[in-house]
Amino acid sequence: MSMPDNIRTRLVECFQTIFPDIAAETIPSVSQASTPDWDSVAAITLVQVLEDEFGLELDLDKLADLDSFDKVLDYLRGELQEA
Amino acid sequence: MTFTEALKTAQKIPRNAKPFEVVLVCGFTPLHLQTYTTAHLHAVMQNRAVQVTPGMYGNMATTLEGLAKCGAHAVAVALEWPDLDPRLGFREGGGWAPNQVADALASAKTMLDRILGAMLHLPQGTRVVVSLPTLPFAPLFHTPGWQAAETELMLHQLIYDFSVQVARAGIAVMNPRCLDETSAPASRYDLKSDLRTGLPYTLAHADVMGAAFARLIAPPSPKKAIITDLDNTLWHGIVGEIGPGAVEWDLASHHRLHGLYQMLLAAMSQQGVLVGIASKNDPRIVDQTFRREDLLLASSQVFPVEVHWNPKSGSVERILQTWNIAADSVIFVDDSPMELAEVATAHPGIHCIQFPAGDDSAGFAMLRQLRDLCGKERLSEDDALRLDSIREGAAFRQAASGSEAPDAFLRDARAAVTFNFGTGHLDARALELVNKTNQFNLNGARFSEADWQELVSAPGALVAVVSYEDKFGKLGRIAVLQGQCAGRTLSLRVWVMSCRAFARRIEHLCLRVLFDRFNVDNICFDFIGTPRNGPLQDFLVQVTGAQVTGHDAAETFTVTREVFRNSCPELHHTILEIDTNEHAR
Repeated sequence: MSMPDNIRTRLVECFQTIFPDIAAETIPSVSQASTPDWDSVAAITLVQVLEDEFGLELDLDKLADLDSFDKVLDYLRGELQEA
Repeated sequence: MTFTEALKTAQKIPRNAKPFEVVLVCGFTPLHLQTYTTAHLHAVMQNRAVQVTPGMYGNMATTLEGLAKCGAHAVAVALEWPDLDPRLGFREGGGWAPNQVADALASAKTMLDRILGAMLHLPQGTRVVVSLPTLPFAPLFHTPGWQAAETELMLHQLIYDFSVQVARAGIAVMNPRCLDETSAPASRYDLKSDLRTGLPYTLAHADVMGAAFARLIAPPSPKKAIITDLDNTLWHGIVGEIGPGAVEWDLASHHRLHGLYQMLLAAMSQQGVLVGIASKNDPRIVDQTFRREDLLLASSQVFPVEVHWNPKSGSVERILQTWNIAADSVIFVDDSPMELAEVATAHPGIHCIQFPAGDDSAGFAMLRQLRDLCGKERLSEDDALRLDSIREGAAFRQAASGSEAPDAFLRDARAAVTFNFGTGHLDARALELVNKTNQFNLNGARFSEADWQELVSAPGALVAVVSYEDKFGKLGRIAVLQGQCAGRTLSLRVWVMSCRAFARRIEHLCLRVLFDRFNVDNICFDFIGTPRNGPLQDFLVQVTGAQVTGHDAAETFTVTREVFRNSCPELHHTILEIDTNEHAR
């Protein structure tokens, strides 16, 4: 498995931890707009789970921009490549 | 515990289990503290559906006042300085000028009084726990950080006065010094998180706070007893070799650790912890040593004493039989790893601790470990009676076994039994007895304070707390019965009796009093077999004639008045019935 796919798989697991009622195959299409449970508390919780999983310190100021699975994935790929 | 682990743990909680509801009251966004508290509570209450819900953001007093009639099992209050006045924190404007700090002090006093009043009005039976401010002040005092400002000290004084009052009211206060050891004060506050999300705790501090709240809400059962070795444990030296006058435990000899251990055992003995001795030694020499006036543990505070040359596992076996408690309620302290291993193998569950002779810092840790393992939230008058009652119980059994006619012996015992039928207020000793008794226990059910309060305040509920004394001494409160009457039938849901009270026919007396007082024709027992409630099973078989099928099986047994009358032996007790809701009769 390539590195980006690995990130994607781990990110799906992170989202599943926050949103256990959403099926794994649906998670890549979720966004804050389409997910009622994705409120401010869930967003902060997601940041913490991502920090645990990827060993990164995420910038809380970027929280508002990371409002979909795809955007979070792009952000992580960028951060992990830089690292 | 990582945050993700906490989150996953919280998600595994069985939602169809009996709920255990906790309200987390804090002025900040609870976020990770809520998750960690849930996860840590679940770890110690795996059979309950733990649910931690936060109070109202930014308004602790109002939240607490709104809980006066709540049905929560527990309320956890995480107090921080901004709850007393927003100017003491970082999120609110308002200024840190000297006059404003003085004004904040005055408003803090008013707010603490309001919070105290609200906490004292929380429903009886709700477990209430509180943490005192854990975070640093904003830089609002005129002194440099290394010097305490008078206003800062006055704020601390307000908090300590408050904490004394809540502790007096039976509210559990998180120990700030213990917290300092597990969460470094300089690593607790996260300014960025506070400003961005409203959660002021670092993740590590939220984890420690969650664990501390869980331990306060559902404390572990304290150990009931300590069995100690003598040579190089209770004192320094081998008494059989150097003689009673040469063993040491004082400052001058540099063996004070043994003296501190003696002092702790003496104090614990007075607090109801049983202390016994298992030593390979010459009993005459040990007896002489215990006559030394400078010994800090009196021989009267120790029972039983097993001193001989046989294996210690046998000594421990006999001590446990005398105390009538299980190995997992007991700590065994010895300096020899071999003796510890021998006892641990023979008595699974016993908590073995090696006495660190010659290592004072390890000794300090051991003394604190003993205190933590045996510490109890409150002392009752029954705690002071425990050792004497066991010693007298042994005398009772010895006298009874030597008597050819048990009836004559029991008649001469001059037993007086008091039945207190009051249900009005929570009797902490009664609940403690229910939650720690294993052998004579109808079904092994355990209750939180809120569970118990709910049970006893139900319409038609009855509770009897039974106390006993005879010519051998007082046993104090030894049994609790809880049930409900419906027509001519009384259903017993809870029935526990201390093993110290066995062989006195008190269990028969309990049923007779219930038949007479409530004028019922049948008593039903909500029985569940447990691995340890054999004595109760034997009694049920005797009075009902039915057979108990096995462990973990819920069964209902019924005894009619007539069957009971035919199976009941002669009873010789003097009975006093009290209804604290009404009057003695």
